[in-house]
This record gives sequence, C-alpha cells and structure tokens, in this order.
Amino acid sequence: MKSITSVVAFFFGSLGLALAAGTTPCFAQTDIHFHTVTGPMEAHIGGLAGHSSDGKTLYRRFCVGCHGASGDGNGENAIWFDPTLGFAKPRDFTLGVFKCRSTPTGALPTDEDLFDAVTRGFVTTNMPEWRSLTNQERANLVAFVKTFSTRWQTDKAGTPIAIPPEPPAKIESILHGRELFQKMECWKCHGSEGRGDGPSAATLTDSKGNPIRPYDFTTGERFKCGVSNHDLYRIFMTGLDGTPMPSFADNIKPEEAWDLVHFLRTLQVSIKTPELGTFRQWVSAHPGQLKPIGQEAPPGK
Amino acid sequence: MRSKSVSLLLPFVGLLAGSVVVVLANPRADSGTIEGKVTYTGTPPKMKPIDMAKEPTCAKEHNPPEMAQNVVTGPGNVLEYVVVYISAGGPPSPTPTQAARYDQKGCMYIPHVLPMQVDQPLQIYTDDPFAHNIHPLPKLNPEWNKSQPPGAPPIETKWSKPEFIEVKCNIHPWMHGYFAVLKTSRYAVTDNNGSFSLKGLPPDKYTVTSWQEQYGTQSQEVTLAAGETKTITFTYKVTPYLY
Amino acid sequence: MGERARHSAKKSISWLALSLLGFFLFAMILADSRSASAKPLPGGNFRAIPAFARKYGLPCSACHTAWPELNNFGQVFRDNGYQLMNDRDSPIWQNPTYWPMTLRMTPNWHRERTNHQPVDGAPPNGSVVEQHGFDLSGFDLWTAGTLYKNISFSLLPSSDSTGAFHFENAFVRFDNLLKSRWLNVKFGKFELDNLVSEKRFLFLSANGGLYQTYHFAPVGDANDFGLGDNQIGLELMGHSINSYTRYSVSVLSSNSGNVGLPSNRTYDGYVTFSQAFQVGRLGLQRLGGYAYVGRRPTFSQTFTTAPIPGTGIGNKSFYRVGFAGDLYTLQGKWEFLPFFLHGYDSVFLGIGCGLTAPCSPPVTLPAGAKAPTWNGGFIETHYYYSPQLVLTGRYEILRMSRQAFPTPTMPANQGDIDAYTAGYRWYPIMFSRAGLAWHNEFSLVKTAGAIPLSGNGVGLSPLAPLTALCSATRCPGVWSQTLFFGFDFDF
Repeated sequence: MKSITSVVAFFFGSLGLALAAGTTPCFAQTDIHFHTVTGPMEAHIGGLAGHSSDGKTLYRRFCVGCHGASGDGNGENAIWFDPTLGFAKPRDFTLGVFKCRSTPTGALPTDEDLFDAVTRGFVTTNMPEWRSLTNQERANLVAFVKTFSTRWQTDKAGTPIAIPPEPPAKIESILHGRELFQKMECWKCHGSEGRGDGPSAATLTDSKGNPIRPYDFTTGERFKCGVSNHDLYRIFMTGLDGTPMPSFADNIKPEEAWDLVHFLRTLQVSIKTPELGTFRQWVSAHPGQLKPIGQEAPPGK
Repeated sequence: MRSKSVSLLLPFVGLLAGSVVVVLANPRADSGTIEGKVTYTGTPPKMKPIDMAKEPTCAKEHNPPEMAQNVVTGPGNVLEYVVVYISAGGPPSPTPTQAARYDQKGCMYIPHVLPMQVDQPLQIYTDDPFAHNIHPLPKLNPEWNKSQPPGAPPIETKWSKPEFIEVKCNIHPWMHGYFAVLKTSRYAVTDNNGSFSLKGLPPDKYTVTSWQEQYGTQSQEVTLAAGETKTITFTYKVTPYLY
Repeated sequence: MGERARHSAKKSISWLALSLLGFFLFAMILADSRSASAKPLPGGNFRAIPAFARKYGLPCSACHTAWPELNNFGQVFRDNGYQLMNDRDSPIWQNPTYWPMTLRMTPNWHRERTNHQPVDGAPPNGSVVEQHGFDLSGFDLWTAGTLYKNISFSLLPSSDSTGAFHFENAFVRFDNLLKSRWLNVKFGKFELDNLVSEKRFLFLSANGGLYQTYHFAPVGDANDFGLGDNQIGLELMGHSINSYTRYSVSVLSSNSGNVGLPSNRTYDGYVTFSQAFQVGRLGLQRLGGYAYVGRRPTFSQTFTTAPIPGTGIGNKSFYRVGFAGDLYTLQGKWEFLPFFLHGYDSVFLGIGCGLTAPCSPPVTLPAGAKAPTWNGGFIETHYYYSPQLVLTGRYEILRMSRQAFPTPTMPANQGDIDAYTAGYRWYPIMFSRAGLAWHNEFSLVKTAGAIPLSGNGVGLSPLAPLTALCSATRCPGVWSQTLFFGFDFDF
C-alpha cells in the first residue's frame, strides 16, 4: 500500500506540475489569446441559438490553425496556401466581408448563411465541410466568428434577396441564358466554355490582392456556395464579396436569372446535367445557328 | 451653387487639364481662402503606359496609351490628384444633396480621385460598350462589387464612414481610382499645376490635410482672419518605387 | 517498522525527484522549442497522422479529441478515405515535395510490479516483483494518403522496441464506389471497424495499454482470435455524409491477421453498425453494435504426421457480439465510452484443441466439458480540459460465465479480470505539423488464475503453476500494476 501511496503522490504531483507548466507561457504554446473586438455575440439559426462563449473553445480546436487567433486569416498555416496555385487564403473575419450570402452585395450575411458556409465548406479550398459537427457546435462557431468584426455591431445583416419560383429548364430558357452569358460578359472571366479561362482570368485578384481563379464549370460538381440551382442563382445575384465576382442584381431581372442558371448548368460537362442534354439535343437539331460566345460577337446586343 | 455644378462638369471639360477645384460652402463676405500647391522632393516613380490590349476598343481609343495615375507629377515638381481638405475648423458642412459623379469611359475612371462627403449621393456611370464591374475596396465601409453592363443605368450609392476607398474593376485590372469620402465638403483636388484652392472659409483656426494615394496624409494648421487669403504648400518626399 | 517507513519515505522522495527531473528535461526541451532527438514506441498500437495535418493545415485537434483518438470530424475524414472531399485531395494537387510519412515513438520510464511471483526464498504464495527503468516503446513508420481521388492507401511497418518490424496494416481502399458514400472497399490488413478503437486510444502502459476484452481468451482455450488484432481481408463499409450512420461488413482470413498462408480454408465475418445522434448542448452520442463470427481448425491434414500448412480442418466456431457507445456531455468536454462483449468459443477450442495442440478425431470430450462463454466490458471516460490536456480513466471487467471444464478442474472465476487505469495526456504544443504529448498513466490489473495481459502481450509470469494459488472454486487475484510516463511524439 505504501507503494500505492507513492504512486498516487507521484501521479497527482506531476499532474499538478503539468497544469502549472501548461499555464506558464515560457514552457509551451499555452492558452491562445483571441483578439476579438466585440462583446459576446449570438447566432440564430432557425430555433437554434449559438453562443460565442461556447464557440471560442471550438474555434480554438478546429479553426485557429488557418483563420488565426485574431480571426484575420493569418493562422500558422496561411502562408502555405498558395493562391497562385489556386488555393485560396483563409477568410479574414475582421473585414466582415463574406463570399456566400443570401443578402445583396455589401450587406452582411445572415447567420444562416454563415452556418451554411461552415457546414458545406468551400470546394477546391482547404476549408472542409464541418457537417460532422453538431448543429449546436456550428451555431456556436458562427457566433464566435462574429466577434472578430465590429460590423456585426454597427450593421444589421442584410435582407435575403427574393427568388421567384424556378421555371422549367426549357430550351428557350437555356438559349436566353446563353445570351445573358454573352451580354453580361461572364465569359470575360469564366471563358466561353466556362473553363475559367476568359481573357481577364489571369489578372484577377481578390480584395486582398491575392490571385484568384474564376470558377471552372466544366470540372466541378459543386460551386463555392452550394450545389443547387438556388445556390447558383444566389451566387451571381448577390456576388461573392471580397472576390472579383460582382453582383448582377441590378442588371438581370429575377425571372431572367433563372435562364442564366439553366444555361450555366449546360457548362457542367463533367456531370450530365439535364440542361446539358436539352441543350445538346437542340444544337444537333439546329446546326450552325449558335453564334460563338466571346469577343468576336457583337457586344451589348 | 455654381461652383458645385462646375465641379460636376469639370471632370469632362477639364479632363485633359486635370484641374478640379471645388468649394462647396456658401461664400460669405468675410470668407477667406486657403490656397497653394502640393510639391514633392526626391525622384518620383516613373509611370508606365497602361496596356489595354485585353480590351481592344480601349486600346484603340488610347493611342498613345495612357499612363498609370498612381503618382502624377507636373512641371515644377508638383503633384496632381492630391486631395486637400479641411479636417478641423470652421462650421460643420451640411451633406450635399447633389450627387458626386464618377465615370467609366474608355476603360478609365474619371476623375481618378473623386472626393465626396459622407452620405453624399454617389452616381457611377458607364459610357463603355462593354461590361465593367465596380469593386470598391473599403476597410470601414461595407465592401461591395457590382456588375455594370453596357447601357446600364448609373449605380446609385453613398458611403457612411469617412475613408479613402480604392476602386477597381476586376475585368480591367488597370482601372484604378479612389473615392475620398470626407467629413467635410471643403475639399479640393490638385490640378496639373499641383494647385488647390479652398474658398469661402469663415475666420477660424483650421487644420488642412492633404492626401495622396501613395504617400498618405499631411496636415498643417492655418489661422484665417476675415477675408484673408493664405497660401500654403504641402511637400511630399517621394520615392522612385510604388508600394 | 521504522526501517520500512523510512524506506517508504525515501522512495516517495525519489519518485518526486524523478518526476521533477522529468519536468526539467521537458521544460528545457520546450524552452528550446525543439523536440528531443530521441528515437524509438510499443507495438505500434497508436495512431495519429501528422502527415495529414501537414497536408491540409489543420491542427491535430481538428480530427482528434486528443490525438490519437478520433473525433467525428476525423471519423468522417477517415471514412471518406483520408479525403476532405474538397476536390483537392488527390496527390496531383499536392506539392511534389509533400511526403505522407508519419513517425511515432514514446521514450518513457515505467515501473512494473506484480505480486504472487515465484521468487527464491519467497513464501508459498510468492512474492512481489518490481522492475523499473527508462525504456522505449515500439516504433511506427506510417505512410497513408490518397493515390488518386477516391483511391487511398495505408502502409504501416511497425516495430517493437528492439526494431523488429512487422506490417501492422497495409491496405488499399476504393472510396465512394458508384459515387456512393455507402460503398467503400478496403483490401488488405487493417484494424477491424471497432466502435471503440484500441489503435487510437489514449493509454500506453503495459497493463493499461490494451483492452482486456479485445484480447481475452479463456484459460486453456486454443482460439488465437483477438478483436483488437488487425485482420487480413476485405471490408465493405459505408457512411452517411456526416458519418452519423456507419456500417461495415468484412470477410477475413481466419488467422487473426497473421501473414503467410491462412491456417485453414474458412473465412471469418464481422459486421458493425452504429448511429450517432445530436443531443442539444450535450453533444454527439453514438451507439452501435457488432458481431464477429469465425471458425478455427482443431487439426490439419498431415504427411508423415507433419501438418501441411494451410490445411486446417475440423473447424469449430466461435463468436463475439456486443454493443458500444460514444457519449458526450458538457458540450463535448466529457466523453464516456461504454463497451460490452459477449464471447463464445466452441467446446473443442475451449478444451485446447487447435493447431498447436491438434485433437485428431474422434475427440472424446472430458466429462462435463462445455463451450466456454464470458462477458466483458468497460467504461472509459475522457475529460477534455482543453484541446491540450485530457484526463483519462477506465474500468474494465471480465467475467467467465461458463468454463470449458467444470470445477474443480477449473475454478469458476479462473480467467476473470478487473482492470483500472487512470492517466492524463498533456499536449504542450498543438500545431498542425507534429505532435508531442507528455503521457502519465497508472494502471492496475487483477487476474484470477491467469497470466496478466500486458501491452506487449507477454506480461510477467505469476507463480507457477497458476492453479497452485486456486482453491477448488476460486482463484485469488494476481495484481499487476504499471506506472508509466513518457514523451509521446508523432511527426
């Protein structure tokens, strides 16, 4: 039993030392000091309330490596993401600017938007899907992310844009969408076939001056901000703030926007979308009737 | 009133002259003037010609090519496109209801630097037969990014916080300008002689600040008596490289 | 008495001195922010892959509650075939200098102490034997990753502390067949899809570093199967998008993961299923069940009385069934892992018929011989003080419910086990490049009439013959304890 006593003494003694060492900065990486700029924040996703105080622990566990203790996207890994190779830098939460929103360009996203972004991750980047966390955990993280920018105190989240019901993806809709793709000059960045190789593609930079690539429709199944037609609709009608992708809400009428959605689906040649089938059928029945997309075509008409 | 409309016309009329002189306060009998020049010492960076080959219409329009406008110098070591404004002193200036106008023409922003007051309406026009996207990059105000295809109506907006906001077009990366959003409407932008003039200033102790996109701000204290005109000079130490 | 007390006090002081020494070493190493240039870890039983952290830039804590134990995010990553599913998992997107290589070892100090040991001059019940000293664990050299999108691999040569290597696992996996998460095929040697992984748990000591139930065989039983042994075969597994629902079905060679020709020509089968639920602020709760069914030969075809390898016949069956859980409270800070197992071996295996002691037919069963059955289980708990400090504890119990031989040949409790383990792991640094943990653990195992299992599978031999301790109906406990501390490093 004496042996047991000494063992127990040793055990708790060294545990105590470990705890003591764990709180002494010179010994090791210890508690991370977060540079938040607001008080506690909440996030409301449906009936679920997230709390920044709970989100902090989760942020430390899952997020700090890339987004950093200041939330500025300068975590220890940020330097290894090479934008010239197409790997986007981690989001800087201090700006309060977010790509994937249901709200108009310039407006803050809703809590649901952030929740969805965390859940879905960002395809082609190192931001993974976090749907393996519980809803409560993700709501807490959203609340904590909001503590990095005072915009969440000074501004209200925008109102989600109205989206009319989706009409059927008939060939007329696809062809009109194609005209819009030409007229709105989507091809200048995304290329005439949607490969992300338009004339302006090479010089694009995000708002922090890092090179950024236009989305390549031909290889991807998912988009930066979702997979559904509604997600696609939102992407170009709200713009991806912080990137070169502008909002087209002032220039494309809501009903026309669906036409563009339907056309964009035909660019996804790696997955056989129904829109692509409809389009190809029409093209083979009407040879030579389509004007090529791009610079040669008369602009504006 | 008149000077205001002049300020709106000048971007067009005076584009080549590059002269923008704006005073928006109501002139009073006892009002004074602060005027002067913005000069530099050192070697300024050499501006490179803008390559607009990606937009052939513009390349054709600007032959020989335009020079970049980050640091625009004039004869006598003067700097153009420097915003000079009253940062303290005088009565508060009411928010103008007349919109500040920004133009996109031939793949250039006109003017290169557009001053305006906080919450003043801002209209962004396009005159080009192809699409632009207008992408201001504020730090304090909300960042947005809108497409403007040919023939689209002007974008109407405003800024609610004072800030120097870089503006760019991602489709035409050489397009590069600034919104100078100020707390006052007492401002001017130096012309190609480096000259500015702030008129209609009631007697007071003023802080006059100048801002250049590369070299930042400088301030001077000026005490103005009734009806007085004072001449001041801002001098920037320039370096031969951009940052 | 006074002599002994002084001795004891002296011992306590020496422990304290040792622990202080350890910490000074530790502090020096950390102050230098460099890892000790130590080398060599045990049995290669423990899994965390900083190579993935380096590939994706995520901190250890993203995939592990406390490495090497996986959290649900890590589980999803693993279920996806080591893919984040960001369309950038394939090596074609990697910097060519990236090398998916992980090293792990634990230089340590440990003390082993067992009673009822046969010692010269000791009383009939034996004496306490104590050993201690600095030591090395075995060593893992693990490569794992993707070969292409939806094709992944793992190769783990693992050595014991002397450097003798074996392949702990080696498999290739085809993920998301037919674009379905529900169809993934693994081929090779791999860990069974156990609901509580022994390869990723938080214990390292000789007595605490294994689940007794995962390696238990009744006294005298010839079955070599262990649920905790990596097996060779083919696994079909599937999972929902967040891995809340998981299943696996495996077909395995019936030789408990040993390489070379299987001992016979039958196959074992293993199925698991689990489902996780979100319970508000408590966190994620997972419950599941499993069943392993197999057969082992009791003799071989022979030529001039020598057995022909791989021709085991006279197959006799066994099974293991049970359930397990992974339950969280305090928003994921406090975890409980309950586990239950019911085991059954054929009476022929139970009386010792196997390839090492073949029972050529016709076998005459001893009078009263029965198929041995037992129940085992544990409750394990982890308290995550922070992502960098975890406190652990476990109580494990194993009870024979039916012995192969009736009493008095075999006392009713012979083989029973009670095991207690407590410890903590402190991760002084937690970046996304490498891992270092200070590990401290104390474990106690009480076995009745059997050699205690320990981390290397050998254990200390208690008094022989074991049954000398036992009465007709009961065997007294043999206590074996380990005190362990060491630096667990993982690059």
